[in-house]
Amino acid sequence: MDKKVFESDIGESYILATLDNGLKVYICEMPQFTSAYAVFGTKYGSIDTAFSLNGGQPVAVPEGIAHFLEHKLFESEEGDAFSKYAETGAMANAFTSFDRTCYLFSCSDRFEENLDILLSFVQSPYFTEETVKKEQGIIGQEIRMYDDSPSWRVLFNMLGAMYINHPVKIDIAGTVDSIAKINSDLLYECYNTFYNPSNMFVCIAGNVDARAVLKKIEAAVADRGANEITRGGIGEPESVVKNYVEQAFPVLTPIFCFGYKQKIGSPFRRLKSKICVELLLEIICGESSPLYKRLMDEGLINDEFDFEYFTGRDYAAAIFSGESENPARVADEIKKEIANIREHGFDKKLFSAVKCAAYGDALRRFNSVEMTAMQLTECAVCDYDLFEQIKLLKTVSYDDVLKRTDIFDDDLSVLSVIKPQEG
Amino acid sequence: MLENVIDIGNAAQGFFIKSDRFKTTHISYNFYLPVDKEKVASFALLPFILTTCGREYPDFSKLNFKLNKLYSANLFASAEKVGDYQLLKMGISVLDDKYALDGEELVTRAAELLNSLIFDPLAENGEFSKSDLEREKRKAIEHIRSELAEKRLYARKRLIEEMFKGDAFGVPKCGTEEQVAAITPAGLFGAWQEMLSRAYLRVNVISASLPANVFENVKERLSGIERSSAAAVTKSIPLKPIYAAKRVEEKMDVAQGKLVMGFSVLPGDDERDSAKLAVMCDMFGGGPYSRLFTNVREKMSLCYYCSSTVDKRKGFIMVDSGVEAENAQKAEYEILRQLDVMKNGQFGDFEFEASKKSIINALKGYGDHQDTLDNWWTFKCDSDTPVSPEEYAEYVSAVQKDAVVQIAKTVKLNTVYALMPKGAD
Repeated sequence: MDKKVFESDIGESYILATLDNGLKVYICEMPQFTSAYAVFGTKYGSIDTAFSLNGGQPVAVPEGIAHFLEHKLFESEEGDAFSKYAETGAMANAFTSFDRTCYLFSCSDRFEENLDILLSFVQSPYFTEETVKKEQGIIGQEIRMYDDSPSWRVLFNMLGAMYINHPVKIDIAGTVDSIAKINSDLLYECYNTFYNPSNMFVCIAGNVDARAVLKKIEAAVADRGANEITRGGIGEPESVVKNYVEQAFPVLTPIFCFGYKQKIGSPFRRLKSKICVELLLEIICGESSPLYKRLMDEGLINDEFDFEYFTGRDYAAAIFSGESENPARVADEIKKEIANIREHGFDKKLFSAVKCAAYGDALRRFNSVEMTAMQLTECAVCDYDLFEQIKLLKTVSYDDVLKRTDIFDDDLSVLSVIKPQEG
Repeated sequence: MLENVIDIGNAAQGFFIKSDRFKTTHISYNFYLPVDKEKVASFALLPFILTTCGREYPDFSKLNFKLNKLYSANLFASAEKVGDYQLLKMGISVLDDKYALDGEELVTRAAELLNSLIFDPLAENGEFSKSDLEREKRKAIEHIRSELAEKRLYARKRLIEEMFKGDAFGVPKCGTEEQVAAITPAGLFGAWQEMLSRAYLRVNVISASLPANVFENVKERLSGIERSSAAAVTKSIPLKPIYAAKRVEEKMDVAQGKLVMGFSVLPGDDERDSAKLAVMCDMFGGGPYSRLFTNVREKMSLCYYCSSTVDKRKGFIMVDSGVEAENAQKAEYEILRQLDVMKNGQFGDFEFEASKKSIINALKGYGDHQDTLDNWWTFKCDSDTPVSPEEYAEYVSAVQKDAVVQIAKTVKLNTVYALMPKGAD
């Protein structure tokens, strides 16, 4: 086992241990809290629809299978994991996103017992044709629930118009048709590929004893021989399907997602580059920015207005979203503001204020064991150091941020609108 | 953790929770007014307009710039119904001074900022600024409309309206679109004056140390205001049982139906009764071990979600489910059957113990979140003997099966609201 301790000047530290079986374990002891939060995850999400294992034949699997597998893992021959947690009182959950699947719990006592349950059920797949069939019904209902959610639809309509091949455009849960193709053999194949300790991580924050926890994990997670996973080449062209997409829905105010697709250089964005883009987005349209004030004064946006730097393996986009009577005007104003900043730069005082705020936000996340554990998860998936962000926020320069206007290309922008139905 | 109650006088109370878990200080001002059907929209707009600008910060960009310089101090605002009261909450959460990079006094400045926004708004000649008001009205109306679009929220809101027809609790917490549209600059100024003169005020502070003069400054601000009609918060009047349940059905262009059922329940007298009610409702439809989850969702696959929540002040339970139209009748029947299981005490030790453990686990973690602690004490305003989450956890631990059955027996169906896809029978 290889063990490193990361220290900071804000009174927090954490351990990163890499076990002999390849599993990465992150532990942040926060003894002042009552509760603790643990995540057992794999670098496997909805975008992993094509892969090969140990140099074997490439395999294509149905869309939505990572999410399906997440649902199924809660079941074992002796009953489901929820009933085991019910005996300890812990709150358990799981989620699948584009590039990861995470199983988690939070508890205020009996941490080690809960950790046993987590480590055990994630390592005990149990699928039969009958249980798979039943789950197809349950997930079908979940998909239909999302079909009725305008905020979900507006995002996926945008991704569908933005990406030509990349599976990030596909709904995380798949479609009723795609999940109908899932069977127990396919589930085992995905499980054996991606649920190998060398592709997984455990992240823990809160009132725990790191030494005891580490010992437990070492004993409980079996070595299954390192897997060499080759993810399918995506071959995403540097263009978009179309620049505008709309759908009518029973809403009263139109909602929108306006995104810029970024050309991809490397599979993951480096942390510094990510921080710079996030600061730049604040400068473009954060609540202190001139553009935000203009849009608000003209009645073009409301408190729902938001933005994010949406990144993962082989994809990155800056996305602005909200409600507006005139989404096209909002998109135009954002384009103009970006052009203006590219040409004239931005207010240095505003830059110093948004940097200060980002520093405050980074520290504030340590107010919560959940947020700390989720940040460690981000570190595990993207290979960051948790305190690196805080250090970088003290040092990034005006020019570092200004340079990042290079990610915006109007030809690669997409506006997605959910408009009210007529009549 | 240590709680201290400080009497500020003038129908105001300070509440300090000392905790060294956090890197921030959390301060909230909570104004309680009896729900008034006619004024609910004006009062609800106040927390939002007051935390957007003020005389010192007339423009929200300047205010946001100031918040950024305070290391992303977070101003928060909300308007809720708490039983028969409307609760207007405004607060700030700010990084503690020791984390400031240049030795700035962050907490004092943030507390001053909050005081200034609440007590010194941007108003002239008895009127709020027209442009600020129009902006906030537009935002409020768009918010009301967007809630209409999220069908799960919409269905829950419609059930409350139907169940509390004739009771002020039935009005939407931020009023209707028409009420918001009718607010005038002078009318809103009147509402602000009324909030300051008539509302009971509770100031909660959660921090490693009590910020200097935080309660004294509130006292000073209140000293010039006539507050003889402000009174402490009292118990709300619970929903009365009725003999024949109401049914309401609407059709819309949706893929999945929503079935929401409202029940009256006897809320009991004190915190111990409240703990019994919490266990009963959680066993019925709280966690994944509950009767509704394990039977209606898991065994019978009738709903994607099916859960229950309880309002202990107004004495009602709401069962909320997402259901395909063809399963709606079966789901309703099964939900009622599971309630009968509760009433007849035909449940096992498993869900009874699981429910208690789950509630206790959650309660013990409340002290790990400033906003959860703030809400806990804010919602305890009507209790004669308010207890901490840890003490409440002991009450939950002491709940017996018989008590759960006795409370379940007081549960009575009041209203069924169904939102179904067009074309479904």
